[in-house]
Amino acid sequence: MTPTTTPPTTAPVAEVPARRRRFSRRVREASLGYALVLPSLLVFGTFIFYPFFKNFYLGLYRNPPFPNLPRKWVGFEQYSDILTSSDFYNSVKVTVLFALYTVPIGIALGLFLAVLAHQRLRGIAIYRTIFSSSIATSVAVASVIFGTLMNPRVGLLPWLGLDPQPPILQNPTWALVAVSVTTVWQNLGLSFILMSSGLQSIPDDLLEAAEVDGAGPWSRFRSVTLPLLSPTIFFAVVVGTIFAFQSFGQIDLLTEGGPLDRTNVLTYAIFTELRERNDPGAAAVLAIALFGITLLLTVIQMRVLERRVFYAR
Amino acid sequence: MGRVAIQGVTKRFGDVTAVDHLTLEVADQEFLVLLGPSGCGKSTALRMIAGLDEPTEGVIEIGARVVNDVEAKDRDVAMVFQSYALYPHMSVRRNIEFPLRSRRVDRDERQQLVEEAAGMLGLDTLLDRKPAQLSGGQRQRVALARAIVRRPQVFLMDEPLSNLDAKLRVQTRAELVELHRRVTTTVIYVTHDQVEAMTMGDRIAILNDGLLQQVGPPQDVYERPTNLFVARFIGNPPMNTVTGKVVRADGDRHAVAVPGGEIAVKPEIGKALDRLALAEVVAGIRPEHLELGADGPIEATVSVVESLGHERHVFCRLTDGQPVIVRQQAAEAAPAEQTPARLTFDDANLHLFDPTTERRVEA
Ligand SMILES: Nc1ncnc2c1ncn2[C@@H]1O[C@H](COP(=O)(O)OP(=O)(O)O)[C@@H](O)[C@H]1O
Ligand SMILES: [Mg+2]
Repeated sequence: MTPTTTPPTTAPVAEVPARRRRFSRRVREASLGYALVLPSLLVFGTFIFYPFFKNFYLGLYRNPPFPNLPRKWVGFEQYSDILTSSDFYNSVKVTVLFALYTVPIGIALGLFLAVLAHQRLRGIAIYRTIFSSSIATSVAVASVIFGTLMNPRVGLLPWLGLDPQPPILQNPTWALVAVSVTTVWQNLGLSFILMSSGLQSIPDDLLEAAEVDGAGPWSRFRSVTLPLLSPTIFFAVVVGTIFAFQSFGQIDLLTEGGPLDRTNVLTYAIFTELRERNDPGAAAVLAIALFGITLLLTVIQMRVLERRVFYAR
Repeated sequence: MGRVAIQGVTKRFGDVTAVDHLTLEVADQEFLVLLGPSGCGKSTALRMIAGLDEPTEGVIEIGARVVNDVEAKDRDVAMVFQSYALYPHMSVRRNIEFPLRSRRVDRDERQQLVEEAAGMLGLDTLLDRKPAQLSGGQRQRVALARAIVRRPQVFLMDEPLSNLDAKLRVQTRAELVELHRRVTTTVIYVTHDQVEAMTMGDRIAILNDGLLQQVGPPQDVYERPTNLFVARFIGNPPMNTVTGKVVRADGDRHAVAVPGGEIAVKPEIGKALDRLALAEVVAGIRPEHLELGADGPIEATVSVVESLGHERHVFCRLTDGQPVIVRQQAAEAAPAEQTPARLTFDDANLHLFDPTTERRVEA
């Protein structure tokens, strides 16, 4: 195979068929690959890509104030009208506040309970069951429980002799907090289980080593537990934020977006446009906006937070 | 003062007694090896000294102070774990520094101590790496550096070499002994490997089933095992043990009848056999003390000969089929397999044990 002994004219002749063979094998491998991803591509296309583009397209038409009249092509005019409106600004603010009230507290509380339940104590399994039990409730159940607790007529409040005016869920200052409390409670089971499993994965001997190395409980938590739990916490923040931005049931059941739009999160605004105002165009614009905001936030979290996450591998 | 005193310490986990009334004193700057088979309670004993497990009964003293109620973090001991337990998210520097940070040592002193410890263990160039970027041997050194960095009163090590390959293990063994000479701290070293125990310890404490069997310098334990367990556990290949009948002749001229021959017993041992009124006795002789010859007292057959280069293990069978191993130097003449042979040995190397109590029979 030394180039000096091989006549230069014969080399290209011998190479052509080999190259062609390699090419056809690559084509065959590629077509097999495409064939294999085709089913999932179809599912994604039908249920995600098509609705997404259809939504975007719906937003380009303005719907008439009365049914049966034809809708009108307005291009991006409807997008700019809605996205600059004070109603939209309010919904974004409420949504972000809702996420801020629910996600960090939900994770912190789940972590706190997980640390408590991680002790090796007799009967601790009972607490584990209690702490994770809210995972078995639905949004509807949680809303009914808290709706009753905060009801001025039948719930806990009259029993305590309290009668706040206006009632909590109609109070512009407290309605969003009340909805957030309900949400935190409902998500607590999941948060607890997630954090518990994260704690289980931290080897005992690391914490024991830290103890022998002279670290107290708080220092062990801060220097060992928390960094090693960071992938779990990061996952919970990202997924929790997305969940918070998609929340709908508790708003619908507890406040219906009120009072004074103080709980009118984006999902609820979409619902109102579509079902009450019969305006698929406006709803579509809001839906695209919700998608954009969620995507943007997730990307930012990945960029900013993930730098502080320690992955073992 | 890094003395450790363990007095009547017991640890039970439910029905399991992991450590059973252990009493042991480790002198300041001593290198004590806790040796025993897996599951005998070595780690539990060490963890109780570290303060990671609480004794069910008994008292533990470190220095002049009873530490039963002192938390692990305040005991001034350092521990090297079998898994090394390095903090995976911290650099080597931060790992070594961690015990100093916990004790609020100031920055300049911290840096100096870390560099000293890293230098001693040849880690200078690795300080900025994460544990995942190190080889097993390097991780082991980081664990050692983290332990020595703050000059604790006592150094606890739980099978620190067991995750290294054989070659590195031999090398690190010697380095550990050297390190101990330099840092002059009390070391309590746990292992199941009797070679480590023999080569490293000032004294060896042998545990079995949570019970202390014998404590003493390696040579003493090897030469005068107090019971059958220690006799069989120390030494490789293990001591040959054969049960025989005590034959009483006139006066003190006793012998032990084993399959294929009789072993004469020294008069003072004979007296001891009488005192204990033993009809049977277990005779033990180490493979390196047995010799093959034409005129030994015991008849046997050579079955297999294994050569290790520098020495030879000759597997023999007594007349009843019991196996016996003879260890020969390579320079000696090798016997042919499947040929009869006679076994001989020096009286001084014979060990006798009571078959019921398994205790050593002594004059
Ligand atoms: N946390 C524990 N719970 C129950 N049993 C344990 C625990 N730790 C150790 N043991 C038992 O105690 C005995 C001694 O264990 P250990 O000290 O780890 O042995 P070694 O280190 O000598 O191998 C074993 O039988 C083991 O199963
Ligand atoms: Mg162990």
